[in-house]
Amino acid sequence: MYSRLLARLLSWTLRLDVAINRVYPEDFNPLYYTGGLSNLFLTVLVLSGIFLFLYYIPSFNDAYASVQFITLQVPYGQIIRGVHRYSADAFMIAILLHFFRNWFTDRFRFSRDEPWISGMMLLLFSGFLGVTGYVLVWDERSQLLVAMTGRTLAAVPGVGGWLQSMWQGSSGISNLLLPRMLYLHVGLAVLLYILLWWHYVRIRHPKVWPPAVWTLFSLGLIFLLTGLVPTLSQPPAHPESVPRTLTVDWFFLLPYVGLTVLSPLVLIALAVVITVYGLYIPYELPETPAALGIRDSGIAQVVDANCTGCELCYYDCPYNAIVMAPSPHPGVTKAAQARKLLAIVLESRCVECGICIGACPFEALELPRLLERDVQEQVVAACRA
Amino acid sequence: MNTSPASDREARYGTGIMVLALVSLAAVLAIAWGEVAGHRLVAGGAVGVILLAYSFILLFLRKGGFTGV
Amino acid sequence: MPGVDRPASAPAGTGTAPAAPAGRPPRIVGFLCDFAVDVSAFTAANGTLRDLPHVTLIKVPCSGFVRPAWLEFALRNGAEGAFVCGCPLGDCFNRLGNNLIGDRVVQLRRRFERQRIHPDRIAAIYYGLHDHEGFLGAVRAFSDRVAALPGPVVPAPRAAAARPAAAAAPARPAAPPGAASPSASPSAGSRAESGPGERADGAAPEEEP
Repeated sequence: MYSRLLARLLSWTLRLDVAINRVYPEDFNPLYYTGGLSNLFLTVLVLSGIFLFLYYIPSFNDAYASVQFITLQVPYGQIIRGVHRYSADAFMIAILLHFFRNWFTDRFRFSRDEPWISGMMLLLFSGFLGVTGYVLVWDERSQLLVAMTGRTLAAVPGVGGWLQSMWQGSSGISNLLLPRMLYLHVGLAVLLYILLWWHYVRIRHPKVWPPAVWTLFSLGLIFLLTGLVPTLSQPPAHPESVPRTLTVDWFFLLPYVGLTVLSPLVLIALAVVITVYGLYIPYELPETPAALGIRDSGIAQVVDANCTGCELCYYDCPYNAIVMAPSPHPGVTKAAQARKLLAIVLESRCVECGICIGACPFEALELPRLLERDVQEQVVAACRA
Repeated sequence: MNTSPASDREARYGTGIMVLALVSLAAVLAIAWGEVAGHRLVAGGAVGVILLAYSFILLFLRKGGFTGV
Repeated sequence: MPGVDRPASAPAGTGTAPAAPAGRPPRIVGFLCDFAVDVSAFTAANGTLRDLPHVTLIKVPCSGFVRPAWLEFALRNGAEGAFVCGCPLGDCFNRLGNNLIGDRVVQLRRRFERQRIHPDRIAAIYYGLHDHEGFLGAVRAFSDRVAALPGPVVPAPRAAAARPAAAAAPARPAAPPGAASPSASPSAGSRAESGPGERADGAAPEEEP
């Protein structure tokens, strides 16, 4: 039933694409660039964040005032603050779209689990970064977030108290909180880029930027929103009294809404289950092509005699599954005699797509169960018919 | 005048591009006014309007057959 | 959307210069990606399309798997047109296959011009799993365009090379347009056919003969 649901979701995703492609030229379809859009928003976040960082003061007395100073005194400070705020939401939307699209279209199969696992971690860290960012403003919402997070962490059996003091810097709210949050916000943003390296490392030519139309559209929408719905702080935090109401940002603070109906322990259990399941997704369904009902052509094989070491397959393999090694001996054909390099297929990374076969002009690569000869026989048969 | 579907399309999207160019010109004036009059939110929003207009200009250039495939 | 499915700007198959023998549609070989458009409901057991029985589809694991040489192989073995169909650009299941084959088809079209094979005999089109209407329309438009092309598919290489270039030109108009006559050279004729008026094919628009 589960796999039938996924098949249905795949079908809906692709039908949506057909609809979008009727409106937009197909290489402008924004859903083909969810990863690039995420990267665009991350870049905007970093640039606007550097600006905000220059003015921010991480102490109880000055944090709120410094944010107000940015908003009201610094020229265009409110615009930059709004850009930071709205591009964070857009970032979350984009990575969730990226997540669901790649899930529904099966783009985590075989050797593609590494982008998936690193992507899950990117998702978790992005949510965490959003929460720490909301704390930095140090208004009533920040105070409530700190209190709710602390209470939730304290509910973990065994290590709860320790976790809470790790989060807050001490057992109660102390002056260490805001410097700690500032570091977690800015320092973990660096970790985001390390995870992005992991996200890209097994991928050749990642699409890291959306088409110009969507770059301009996204930036324009963010700026327009900033002008129309200016970002403002809640009333300042008062350590003596914890406020009762939470102004919700639905993209980052959804778990905190859940806290109003679920007990902290249930929420934590739910989060752990969702996270573990997300990490387990690529390994869940049967992994063999036969079980998936797709063609099983076998791992690409290099024909030693024909390989000229030209590196074309190495450049085109989408998963970096081909490496060029110094050739131990010359090839047999004339073109291969003077080769210095020999292509080698790393079997664990090969997804049997055959793109290297199309790349090779020297007939030096074959899919074992779909040889060039087989294709040519089919072509000849088709021409006879 | 040639009234084939292709030139019809060009005329339609070309008009759209002209309108958007005028909108972005108005947004430039809005930025200048916002800066002079101290309405910086208006200026920031107008930056967004310019970028949005440019994005649709790019799209119309493509849909109208002026650029690309 | 690729311009292939816009017959409005493409030359009508029967209107301009029907060079293929009347009644017999051109034989066409299509390489179809496993993950692209699903036409199993429209395909006979031997891979031909029900509506267009002169089009035979060969399933491949990815459009990037297709060696451009196979398109030429098809043309040299009796097909009058060959195309590759992949997923929409940007949505290749294996990330890049359709972009790669798109580039390779563009390169092959350029080489065909030098070899005096009409470049419109090959194309790359892109249709996703559920877009069978668009796919069938595009194949029909491609088929019509191929049917309108003059002359033999592949010029006889030896005859063309041996004959002096000056002598080749006046001899041609006598050759029957549709017949696979070994001595008729279609070069000038096919070049004239592929003038700017005809460049609506969308498969490789940036190159101009």
